[in-house]
Amino acid sequence: MSYLEIPLPRLAMTLGLVALAILASRWKRLDLERDLAWGALRGAVQLLAIGHVLLLLFEHERPAWVALALSVMVGVAAATSARRVEHGPSARTLFPYALAAIVLGSVVALAPVFLFVVPLHPSYEARYLVPISGMMIASAMNVVALVFERIFAAAHAHADEIEQLLALGATPEQALARHVRASVRAAMIPTINGLLTVGLVALPGMMTGQIVSGTAPEQAVRYQIVILYQLVAVAAVSGVLAGGFARRLLFTPRAQLRLPQRARNEKKR
Amino acid sequence: MPSAIEARDIRVIREGRTIVDGASLVVSFGEKIAIAGASGSGKSTFLRAMATLIPIDGGHVLLDGVDAIMLPPTVFRTRVAYLPQAPPMLPGSVADNVAAGPALRGETLAPERQIELLRAVGLDEAFLARSAAELSGGERQRVALARALANDPKVLLLDEPTAALDPETALQVIDLVRNLAIAGRSVVMVTHIAAHAEALAGKRYVFHAGKLFAGAERP
Repeated sequence: MSYLEIPLPRLAMTLGLVALAILASRWKRLDLERDLAWGALRGAVQLLAIGHVLLLLFEHERPAWVALALSVMVGVAAATSARRVEHGPSARTLFPYALAAIVLGSVVALAPVFLFVVPLHPSYEARYLVPISGMMIASAMNVVALVFERIFAAAHAHADEIEQLLALGATPEQALARHVRASVRAAMIPTINGLLTVGLVALPGMMTGQIVSGTAPEQAVRYQIVILYQLVAVAAVSGVLAGGFARRLLFTPRAQLRLPQRARNEKKR
Repeated sequence: MPSAIEARDIRVIREGRTIVDGASLVVSFGEKIAIAGASGSGKSTFLRAMATLIPIDGGHVLLDGVDAIMLPPTVFRTRVAYLPQAPPMLPGSVADNVAAGPALRGETLAPERQIELLRAVGLDEAFLARSAAELSGGERQRVALARALANDPKVLLLDEPTAALDPETALQVIDLVRNLAIAGRSVVMVTHIAAHAEALAGKRYVFHAGKLFAGAERP
């Protein structure tokens, strides 16, 4: 493959760009110097580390290692989306639901593609499986976190209305329907916007990467189309599942609204 | 003959605090009951427990002699209407609100019936097309009552239906509630205003420290 290699000294030069941002922050008193420095350091360390992990993975391509890598990815994604829910129940309670929504959404998007569109040989070929799964898992993570947060916040803000609907004989599905719909829609909008503006505003990372590393643009574009369609499926499946799970968490088996503890504590303050 | 609705030894504990401490109440068909009590005495929680809208830590709610646990929540709640202190309006018009209960079961409420319900709560049919969001407090209370009546409930549980209303409107609403009882419905009304409890002209109870006592005075 033909591409320009980046020696470490030249990579270090790009730190100047971070320094520029830090200077701007100091100049305008944005108070972001620490975050910028820490973020730049942490991002670099994580990427360098994953670079080596991928190298190891490609060299010792065994199903168990690939499975381990994917497990760590979904685990971190589920923990992250469960933790970022301000109005929901505890991260511990949310974790299994986040995990299920992320895994199922990702599998639905990944399985048909790796079976029929980009068939892998062997089926655990890390070079394709890991990065493409990563994109799906990351997208599912964001969708799940958004749906959770919006539904729990809506339940909190509209508790009276939801309870009145229950009192009129609504099922929990009916009582929450309006808010589930709004939340899943909102979580899917960035993905749909991505579809509408792709190529016009930004060239997606994967396509850019392939082109830079020498893939024919025509093939790179095809890969990108597959990825975009997969992302749509991930958003829809993970979003709808997260909506269903949030609803289960919000009602008792006797169809009573059960606002998450964390939200209730907030209300008291 | 079984009672219309009965609360048997209801107990509600939240975060280690006993809010309702073994309260019982038997309501006959067509009976009117006013429950007074200071704020924080647990009377609203008790009413919500009777409406099966909150989990209880002990006791039973019986509808027509049948334990509420044996009935699907949706069935119980169409027979027992519950109105909170400031009933929220659902998005849409007054007509949408009045027809909401039947709509949840996939039924449409005939326009004539909508008008009939509005008249029963002292509003005319011109209200049907109005947006529910722009109603006054008293109008909301009436529309909420009409909305609850659209399900043709046997029991009405009303939490402070007059608290947010001016004295004149409040008495009109109580009049209305009294007439509903004459039509054979049982009414349980929670209020902290003694005059309103009296105006209902039914049995009186007082909620105090999580317990229910017969009579108009705090024990």
